[in-house]
Amino acid sequence: MTPIAGGAALSLAFGFSVLTVVSLILYTRSGDQRLFWVGQRLSLAISFFVFMATFILTYQLMISNFDIDYVARYTSLETPTMYKISALWAGQSGSLLFWLFILSIFATITVIQNQNKHHGLMPWVIITLAVTQMFFLVLTNFVTNPFMPTDADFVVANGNGLNPLLQNVTMAIHPPTLYLGYVGFSVPFAFAFSALMNKDTSSLWIQSIRRWTLVAWLFLSMGIILGGWWAYQELGWGGYWAWDPVENASFMPWLTATAFVHSIIIQEKKDMLRVWNMVLIILTFTLCIFGTFLTRSGVMSSVHSFTASSLGPIFLSFVFVIMIVSFGLMYLRKDDLRSPRKMESFTSRESGFLFNNMVFVVMCFAVFWGTLFPVFSEAVRGTKITVGPPFFNQINIPIGLILLALTGIGPLLAWRKTSKESLIRNFTFPIMGGLIGAAIFLFLGYKGYVVISFSLCVFVTATILTEFARGVKARTNKFNESIVLALGRMVSKNRSRYGGYIVHLGIVLMFVGFTGHAFDKEKEFSLMVGESDHVAGYEFELTNMSEAERANHYAWISELRVTDHLGQFVTHLKPEKRVYFHKNPDVNRRQPHSELDIYSTMNKDIYSIFSAVDNENGIAFIKIMVNPLVRWVWIGGYILVFGTMIAMWPRKDS
Amino acid sequence: MEFIRDYGLILIFFILPVIFVIQPLFLPRIEEEDHILDRGALKRKKLILYRQIKELEMEFDIGNINEDDFHASRTELKQEVSSVIAQLNSK
Repeated sequence: MTPIAGGAALSLAFGFSVLTVVSLILYTRSGDQRLFWVGQRLSLAISFFVFMATFILTYQLMISNFDIDYVARYTSLETPTMYKISALWAGQSGSLLFWLFILSIFATITVIQNQNKHHGLMPWVIITLAVTQMFFLVLTNFVTNPFMPTDADFVVANGNGLNPLLQNVTMAIHPPTLYLGYVGFSVPFAFAFSALMNKDTSSLWIQSIRRWTLVAWLFLSMGIILGGWWAYQELGWGGYWAWDPVENASFMPWLTATAFVHSIIIQEKKDMLRVWNMVLIILTFTLCIFGTFLTRSGVMSSVHSFTASSLGPIFLSFVFVIMIVSFGLMYLRKDDLRSPRKMESFTSRESGFLFNNMVFVVMCFAVFWGTLFPVFSEAVRGTKITVGPPFFNQINIPIGLILLALTGIGPLLAWRKTSKESLIRNFTFPIMGGLIGAAIFLFLGYKGYVVISFSLCVFVTATILTEFARGVKARTNKFNESIVLALGRMVSKNRSRYGGYIVHLGIVLMFVGFTGHAFDKEKEFSLMVGESDHVAGYEFELTNMSEAERANHYAWISELRVTDHLGQFVTHLKPEKRVYFHKNPDVNRRQPHSELDIYSTMNKDIYSIFSAVDNENGIAFIKIMVNPLVRWVWIGGYILVFGTMIAMWPRKDS
Repeated sequence: MEFIRDYGLILIFFILPVIFVIQPLFLPRIEEEDHILDRGALKRKKLILYRQIKELEMEFDIGNINEDDFHASRTELKQEVSSVIAQLNSK
């Protein structure tokens, strides 16, 4: 009975989404305020039914109702409750419902928050959000319904269970975080589209979406970082980023969104880049939908799976519709979008921002091309040519370093134009810092990109310190405040500016971590108890090997004693080889999995993988990787989150 | 009884939102008054302009903008605020 209610809720939500669009279009034509209120309420009703459907499916997952196909496919009786809940976004139909669920939360907040604001914009904002909801409701109602009954005429005693790789706390958090980012950009896009419809070229709507954009950007960034963390902790290949299509799917909108976050500052302050900002937000939203398409359609495995998939063409059509309608509307409004002001100088902050934007978009295009090249090559030549990490690294490392340099240059440029004296005064300390850093790194024997990257990190850090120092000095001179008080008040009164600098510091630390990748070392070997081997100056001795049967898996546990080149004890590592669903009589359904153990310090990580076990001879096959500076990537991530939260924290006067 | 329990719930969950949604249609027809809408937008614009003046002063104190540009931009922003305030007072 309850599953029927879930399906009915989704159907009602679809019907209400159609009515929302109809009532609000009628309102825009008639001006009858009652129709606007009806439209607002219909929008809330869509969300209400989506919430109902989501809660019903979650409840069915928790009580293991295997009469529902989705529940039987992604959970089993042994699945821990937390992972039964996270199974909501483990499969296709559930994750689409989850997308819709988050979109409905955002739509509800937008409608309630703007009940008495943006009267001119709100009808089209709600229409845009309702059309997006309608698209996902079409998918969840007619293409891949999460409430479909199990495809069998017998009672399913136990479900398939959740993939062991997904039975991880990070993986329970990572998809919702990423989705909050993807979906979050629907709201700025809706405002931008509405501004186009209303020919509203004022910066008022830009102000309104700034916080939404930052919230979505924060979640997208967190989602990407958590994805990297999960890959590093769980997948066992020793890295956090592999330029995998699914990773790229989240990285592309992040790039355009980052460009947008910067360029809206120019529109806010200088009323410039109106067209560019429209392009960026349309691209970001389209790439969010496209990212979901890449992840969910199976297009990346083969072009044939794309044509065979019922989901792919629908997604792709929606992407094309968004682009054609949005860019078509932009073309019609081209006269209204023309900014009254022009760039005055190459050495201005405006041009710095614009240049940084261009580089972000070029990088996005490079990632897009590399990601879809296998699809294009198969479609055109019939042969699938896969583009791997070497291509992405070759293109994106130099672009990334240019962006890092611009992170340092931008804040030092003045608005409109920077005088020669200012250029010398502002750049002296950071450039000296970067050059001294480069000399030291060259002296230490580093070369190539490593020296460039580390020197740029010093340069950008020096820029950030300079900016804080100049701000504090200005306040202490003007208000006679102590340094601590001046620092606190300066950040508090200029949250977006100094929060942004803190984000830049986080990015610098992440670059330190990325650069450490150049020094990675790895070795695979087999050991019996009492034997040892060496990697990167460390000795690894297998001291014990044991077995354990746990609730949902069987494990072989190796114990490695790690000592350094002086023979000093460093740590014990206990990587495991596991077999999930080990009680399943069907051997093919049992899933092997390597549970890693990592010894992490600020300087380096020692990463151990129990690749395989030879039970008969008592041999453990071990892979060890020594990865320098990885922890700085995660520290940088924390600082990025902290900085973004400062930047978006509401001001007292708002 | 079971039928009423099961389908009654669905009906309640359907009928209540429908009542909530169509309720405004039973109100008399209202044409929105433009000046009320404008006033909200003008107030927000005033707030943004005040912020921009503060930020401009900060930029000048730090040395990110030269004196001539600072005075020109400040005058421009102040004129804009005055015009917004005048519009607010006239409504």
